[in-house]
Amino acid sequence: MAETVVRCQGVSRVYNDGAVPVHALRGVDFELAAGEWVSLAGPSGSGKSTLLHMIGGLDRPSEGSVVVDDVEVTALTEAQLADLRLRRIGFVFQAYNLIPVLSALENVEFIMQLQGVAAAERRVRAGEALESLGLAELTDRRPGEMSGGQQQRVAIARAIAAGPVLLLADEPSANLDTTTTKELLDLLQKLNQERGVTILTATHDPMVMQYTSRRVNLRDGSVVDGS
Amino acid sequence: MALPLLLQLSWRNLWRHRRRNSILLAAIAVAVAGVVLLNTMLRGMQADMENSIIDNLTGHVKVLRPGYLEDPSIERGFEVAAGWSEALPADAVAGWAVRVRVPAVIMSERETRGVQLVGVDPARESISFLGNVTLSGENLSGREDRRILIGARLAEQLETTVGRRLVLLTQGADGRNREAGYRIAGIYRAEVGGLEKLFVFTGAETLQTMLGTAAVTEVSVRLADAADAKANEGSVVAGLVAAFADLDVRTWRQLEPQAAQMVEFADAAVFIYFVVIMGALVFGLVNTLVTAVMERVRELGMLRALGMRPWAVVAQVTLESALVMSLGIVLGLVLALAVFALVADGIDLTAFDDSLASFGLRPIFVPVLRGSDVALVVSMSLALGLVASFYPARRAVKVKPLEALRR
Repeated sequence: MAETVVRCQGVSRVYNDGAVPVHALRGVDFELAAGEWVSLAGPSGSGKSTLLHMIGGLDRPSEGSVVVDDVEVTALTEAQLADLRLRRIGFVFQAYNLIPVLSALENVEFIMQLQGVAAAERRVRAGEALESLGLAELTDRRPGEMSGGQQQRVAIARAIAAGPVLLLADEPSANLDTTTTKELLDLLQKLNQERGVTILTATHDPMVMQYTSRRVNLRDGSVVDGS
Repeated sequence: MALPLLLQLSWRNLWRHRRRNSILLAAIAVAVAGVVLLNTMLRGMQADMENSIIDNLTGHVKVLRPGYLEDPSIERGFEVAAGWSEALPADAVAGWAVRVRVPAVIMSERETRGVQLVGVDPARESISFLGNVTLSGENLSGREDRRILIGARLAEQLETTVGRRLVLLTQGADGRNREAGYRIAGIYRAEVGGLEKLFVFTGAETLQTMLGTAAVTEVSVRLADAADAKANEGSVVAGLVAAFADLDVRTWRQLEPQAAQMVEFADAAVFIYFVVIMGALVFGLVNTLVTAVMERVRELGMLRALGMRPWAVVAQVTLESALVMSLGIVLGLVLALAVFALVADGIDLTAFDDSLASFGLRPIFVPVLRGSDVALVVSMSLALGLVASFYPARRAVKVKPLEALRR
């Protein structure tokens, strides 16, 4: 049986920002095994991004437990959470979120620099990651000089080059056209199948869901099916 | 966290808004240059004032009989024993002069003026302004010279010229008035015009003969090197106290306390200029940094989402501030040195000669660049840059990564 990378038990998240408390998640149970590619699906406001953020250590549950790679996320300090994000989790954001003043190669090297990887090693790993995603020709380009699809591929290269246990992708196809989305999904599939990268995607794009090995549907903060 | 990474990010971020940062850089450069140049003016003024006091027959240290300052007459004179100067540490002294100085009235055929009549040994007056005057006519030949030197302005007032005779009236050692006629050997022009009206010089022995005494009224000592003057002052004072046990030995600061306070005020003014000019600049720096941070809230949030620690974000913002400040300081110093090079030989202020003379300043104003002042401006500016970055840096880490990413 495959090792469990993510285990969520009874995860609830209530936002008390306004007059009325908003229940973003209501007692969610969820597991993700190593090597899986799972999509969290559901309409806007269903809680899929919130759950993704809980697993990524960007937010804390109001109740429940989130374990990532055998680490209880809810018990970590801010500094420990930052370390968890740095060393075990790769992020791909909807808006690419590359650093505009760095080239593609430097962007991919960035997380490894934070991790303290030696310059020679990170240069090799970054180069390999970019090459594997078909970006060998774009290493010196800055984000402003690349298309949306190219930027998203650089973001994936950045995430995988650092060697994460888990790759989290929040609406990765939101800003891409169909052709570019397909190219991107083919890449993710290749990473998942050939390199065994565990991927969790929050999306409402049916095209993304077709690629994933499993689909978990959320509605109004609860898992409806597929957990 | 690698410092090179932070430096790289900070450096490149500076060039994201070239116009805005160029304006900020220019403002810092002008402010730094302004402070440095103001300091050179201030130090120049300070040095000028101090030199003027010391040149003005005061010297660094003076020996007087008690009560002479209140009643500067020959009755308050004293006799100088032979070999007294052996008490002075030779390396610490540039020169000394023994003078007879009394108040007198000088009369020409047309005018009468009150002056200070000073009997000197001209060979020893290289330590005072008399050693640096421009003369028309001749200098005094020695202590026994019976002629006089008068200032150009006094000559104008008395409507006289070289070779003419003037009458001097003063009180002798016996308390009676003494009057004698003197021929003008030369007319001097001093850097500080006011001195020309005040001092009339003759040979020391000549004046002693006129006053009917062998006494002198002052011994003035000039220290060897202005840079070491304060260090040497103590040993010279000790030597003079030993040589003149019953007399007052006073430094120029004790003799001219108000002027000394003005000279010392320059040290405080260096800080005041800095605080006023650079203090105003800090608001601009904080504003620019806050704007730069708020524009990048999402980006900074993303960096933290990827695992960058809050302190590293603070370090990045602080480095940006330090880089801007450092660049501004370098540009400011280049600008200041370029301007200083243009005026290093002196600024001609002869048009304001009378006003300057009242402050004891020379009409050719020479700014003085001190390495310690430049180091002070540089270090304080950098410190100010770091303090200014505190608020923007705090804003940068106050927003949680998830909040920042949602913006």
